[in-house]
Amino acid sequence: MRLGAGFAVLGLTCALASGCAQVRRVAVDDPQRPPHDLAVLLPDSDGTVGHATVSNASGTTDLSEARAATRISRNQAPSAATVLTEADVQREFGDALSALPPAPQTFTLHFQFESENLTPESRALVTATLQAVKARPVPDVLVVGHTDTTGSATLNFQLALRRAQTVRALLVAAGLDESAVAVASHGEAQPLVPTPDNTYEARNRRVLITVR
Amino acid sequence: MAVLGVALATMPADAQPSNTIGRVKIATGSAFVVRAGTSMPASPGLALLETDSLKTGADGRLGVSLNDDTRISIGPDSEARLSRYRYAPSEGAIALVLNFIRGAAVYASGQIAKLSPDAVRLETPAAIVGVRGTTVAVRVDPE
Repeated sequence: MRLGAGFAVLGLTCALASGCAQVRRVAVDDPQRPPHDLAVLLPDSDGTVGHATVSNASGTTDLSEARAATRISRNQAPSAATVLTEADVQREFGDALSALPPAPQTFTLHFQFESENLTPESRALVTATLQAVKARPVPDVLVVGHTDTTGSATLNFQLALRRAQTVRALLVAAGLDESAVAVASHGEAQPLVPTPDNTYEARNRRVLITVR
Repeated sequence: MAVLGVALATMPADAQPSNTIGRVKIATGSAFVVRAGTSMPASPGLALLETDSLKTGADGRLGVSLNDDTRISIGPDSEARLSRYRYAPSEGAIALVLNFIRGAAVYASGQIAKLSPDAVRLETPAAIVGVRGTTVAVRVDPE
């Protein structure tokens, strides 16, 4: 089942009026219609809707609302945007969408001052991280350590690396396959909260875990 | 800043070969990765390289994650090529070019689109799709 070519005509008509989102859709299933590409903007996994621009040598169409779509025939400008129904999207892309890996999840763990000990709140997050890992088909995990700017950059690099390794060891001890966990240190170079040098800032003493 | 943190973390040599750009996460039915003209079954966990193509038969579906958290999936009878991939933010090297060759595909943006939206180009035979941090579905008819 394909969306019909009649769609593009409707879209162009609509471009002349306001309120394009309410385009009336006529079901056309014409096997003879010329081939065209279809591009649809979809909401992100967190529900936000971004923006896409579809262009070729003949023109450009902006897509800026959920399920906004354009059709592009060879050697013609992309059609004006129309809005597909959820059913349209499922019919065209249901299979592909069902194979989209889940969005990555991130967890931020915090450390006590100049130590490799997690704060009590963060220790609890280790369990949440493991649950996220176990829910995924082929999990891989990134663990990146950060410090605040207290002390030298060199020592902070090492401290951040030890923090990341500490977290990795916790995850591995709890059952995560070691080969699935990569570790890195960014020392004091990427504070969550920018500060002058030698500034005590708890929010910057952290390890960021990305599960994907 | 947290964004860059993730970005730089994908480099450690102990985790994966440095030229790995991502992994197969989901594969059902006839699903393949085509590398230098050779088709191999797209089993979950398979490492992906730049210029690999994702390809499915009539009963296939395939989903992958790339190092920057970009996700791509294709439906049955579909093909998409990972034409260009650069993800080394500390060296200023960021690029993602996908070619949708036929069938249905979904692109969900990752860090590359956040760091440098203009570095992302999704190409169909008839158009180029530029994104501002988002999810896009594309269908390409056979000629």
